[in-house]
Amino acid sequence: MRTFVCFFALFSLLPVFAAESLRLDVRQFELSNGLKILILERHDSPTFAAQMVFKVGSVDERPGITGVAHLLEHMMFKGTQIIGTKDYQRELPLLKEIEAVAVPLSEEKAKGEKADQEKIADLQKKLNELQAEHRKLVVKDELWEIYLRNGAAGLNASTGSDYTHYYCSIPSNRLELWCWLESDRMRSPVFREFYSERDVVTEERRRSIENNPQGALWEQLTAMAFTAHPYQWPVIGWMSDICAIRREEVEQFRRIHYAPDNCTMVLVGDIHPDQVLPMIERYFGGIPSQPPPARVRTVEPEQRGERRVDVEFDAEPMVFLGYHKPAIDNPDQYVLDILQSLLSEGRTSRLYKSLVLEKQIAVQAKAYAGPDKYPGLFIFVLVPRSPHTAAELLTAFDAEMEKMITEPVEAKELQKVKNRLRVDFIRGLETNEGLADKIAYYEALYQWEYVNTLLENWEAITPADVQRVAAKYFLRSNRTVAQLVKPEGGKE
Amino acid sequence: MMKRSVLSRLLFVCVIPSFVVFAADLPEHPRDLTYPELSFTMPDVSRTALDNGLLIYFREDHNLPVLDFYAIIRVGAIYDPLDKMGLASLTGEVMRTGGTREQTGEQIDEILEFIGASVESSIEQERGIARMGCLSKDLDTVLPIFAEILMQPEFRQEKIDLCKKEVLESIRRRNDQPGDIVEREFQRIVYGDHPYARPVEGEANTVVAIQRQDLIDFHRRYYVPNNIILGIAGDFDTTEMSARLKDKFGSWERRDVPFPDLPDLPDESVPEGGVFYFPKDLTQSNIRMGHLGIRRTDEDYIPVRIMNFILGGGSFSSRMMSGVRSNEGLAYSVYSQFEPKRDRGLFIAHAETKSESTLRAITLMKNEIRRICEEPVSEQELSTAKDSFLNQFVFHFTTTRNIVEQRVELEYEGLPEDYLDTFCDKVSKVTRDDILRVAKKWLHPDSLRIVIVGNAENFDGALSDLGAVHEMTIRDYAAEVDSALKP
Repeated sequence: MRTFVCFFALFSLLPVFAAESLRLDVRQFELSNGLKILILERHDSPTFAAQMVFKVGSVDERPGITGVAHLLEHMMFKGTQIIGTKDYQRELPLLKEIEAVAVPLSEEKAKGEKADQEKIADLQKKLNELQAEHRKLVVKDELWEIYLRNGAAGLNASTGSDYTHYYCSIPSNRLELWCWLESDRMRSPVFREFYSERDVVTEERRRSIENNPQGALWEQLTAMAFTAHPYQWPVIGWMSDICAIRREEVEQFRRIHYAPDNCTMVLVGDIHPDQVLPMIERYFGGIPSQPPPARVRTVEPEQRGERRVDVEFDAEPMVFLGYHKPAIDNPDQYVLDILQSLLSEGRTSRLYKSLVLEKQIAVQAKAYAGPDKYPGLFIFVLVPRSPHTAAELLTAFDAEMEKMITEPVEAKELQKVKNRLRVDFIRGLETNEGLADKIAYYEALYQWEYVNTLLENWEAITPADVQRVAAKYFLRSNRTVAQLVKPEGGKE
Repeated sequence: MMKRSVLSRLLFVCVIPSFVVFAADLPEHPRDLTYPELSFTMPDVSRTALDNGLLIYFREDHNLPVLDFYAIIRVGAIYDPLDKMGLASLTGEVMRTGGTREQTGEQIDEILEFIGASVESSIEQERGIARMGCLSKDLDTVLPIFAEILMQPEFRQEKIDLCKKEVLESIRRRNDQPGDIVEREFQRIVYGDHPYARPVEGEANTVVAIQRQDLIDFHRRYYVPNNIILGIAGDFDTTEMSARLKDKFGSWERRDVPFPDLPDLPDESVPEGGVFYFPKDLTQSNIRMGHLGIRRTDEDYIPVRIMNFILGGGSFSSRMMSGVRSNEGLAYSVYSQFEPKRDRGLFIAHAETKSESTLRAITLMKNEIRRICEEPVSEQELSTAKDSFLNQFVFHFTTTRNIVEQRVELEYEGLPEDYLDTFCDKVSKVTRDDILRVAKKWLHPDSLRIVIVGNAENFDGALSDLGAVHEMTIRDYAAEVDSALKP
């Protein structure tokens, strides 16, 4: 178990590979400030994929500041006391002045129809002037420029309900640059250009939810399915909250959640741990740890009866269903993974075969078991084919799900799913980025080691398990049905 | 941090001993960093051809027990007859789902999915694609299926009918996403009567008109070995593979392909600009602006890409992103691209902004297009762009599959064999004058076609300020499908 190279040498000699041999030889380290480091060596190409994973997402927000985790992710690209500025000391007073105008402006705008338009215009003018003044001290998007100049590929970040990660791939001779930039923004980010970035996020929301039928449907499904748990609000946040969040609130959120002991660094590729660890220690070792943030306390109460929500949109019909399911640490998740594949992956899957090929009443029928950190939803996406209606499709879907519960799955069908999952797993080993994603994902939701026992856990599942789990979760009383419908009064 | 006590017993957790380091030891700014030389040699890909003209690129890689085939066929929706638009796409799809002489599509599905393998076929605007992927031990099961689907697909009627139904549903849904509307209409406006203007999947009445014999004839015409480039990557032995390929494809007969003549592109020596407004009740406008672009094989292609990086292609290092997003917060997504095709592709700038800032965003973007045609870019901008291309070059070669597929693509695009060998040199030589020259030549800020899907009631000004306004209507695709289906 020393190096990944050995693992592959051994592995490729095996005529039939046993699940046990498909383990990633991830090496794990921890700095004294609690920063966890996961390294997987692969020397095929002189590059590596890097991720900084923070165990925080929209689930850690509260009403009023929904969307703050995502807005924070945007702000982390705005530079630091060194990067992105011509003179940080001269920026400071201007940033304060901007705050003093932008906050009352947001408050006035939030009054809606009762807002004083004259006051808004006046404050807006002041804000524009201050921003223009401030811009003279800004080195535009310098973090991006440095990364791109040095050949970074796939530079980006993403925020989910459960975690936030920052990632890119870089030529392996530039590891120190990555350490420099990432430790710098972990230590002292500066949230400059905050109010224009907040506007950017409102545009992102308009694009992905308000003017996007699937986005709108998804938002309403989760809002309806969760009455108590924070999974009820969208990761991007409610529009009213995005428009009102203050810079100070984002900074406070960062202080609580972006400490080294709430972060895992994942490096996959052309990297030698003996060489890089001292470098990582030099750059990140001095960043102070923080008290651990509180975990979400609220538990979603058991659902008692089917919930339905219609979403009006000028688009063709579509149905999303969400069944409550347990968190990743419940072994039923392995069975739900199997069910996802059995029901909707490939042309021989149950729903595809029945609804798309045979009955021809759908053009799409997909299942998503996606593990979640907290109890979440097993999602189905059903797209009817005209003239068949959503109601007709739902009836056929229910009949198919009923079979799942009443009849045990045949051994051959179950074996097919297992074979497929195993090949998919092997395919996931092809790229540094794919591996880094996988390790980061399971580490954020639970613990990275999960990835190394997935195959054996899937392998152990029996037809009885499948039937039991289907019967336990796929109940009408446990689901929410969200439908896209044409606006009342017909077409616009 | 669940189950921490259990975890620490199970895992080898190594807390690194603290190195004695002071912050002062760290370089103050990343510009002070120096990097060791990157050791990189460009991986070789072998090239060979069967006697019947089937071209093959291949490279062995035994890291994982998998292998992949990737074929490009010179075919495309551009060769669809006008009254049967959608034929190419339907042919590509039903080649796979319609099965072979011996086996139905469903039988093939069962065989492949049981072993986690895949065989897929499709035809796009300017290329056909066929793929196969499997564990290396399953080669002898999967290769015959792949070969049969390429050479002798059966086009069973029931699968043609099903595929047509699915295409019609997709056509019905063409207006669901505002982004799809604006993309489609932009292409249509720029390309006029040229086949590039047409949707690959066809129109309702043309899809309905397609018959089984059309698919058989279309396939027979283009799927010949001398019209295919095949790439093979992964866990195989070259000698054994050669024998198998000869066995499977050797007797496939070479035949000349009578390619239809394509009409000339609209004459754009003096392109006609204008605003094309499609009303839809949205809170955010979807904007595309641009005109005809460049051929992939044009010698200006590399300087044009660098110019576009600075203009709008280089993410946050681009002028459009800086101006529209970063400075003013007007858009989440704003960028420009030169989308290459075999003939002239598109120059297209994208943005989505709330209705109330539509004109402002368009004006900022237009100004940037104009500015790059009028003033030389800065040294700093050029060096950022060039360094980015040069330092990212190594990412063209991260997996064997990509390495092989890339060679297949380059050959298909008609690029010279030394394209990758000379790429970095060509990038290095681009100057500020080159950028200005190609900007002037390939950008036309005064004759942009500006296509907007949105709600003008809430716009921040009159569209006529941007040029001649064409009031357009969004086609009612649901009605078109319903009418095409009427007996």
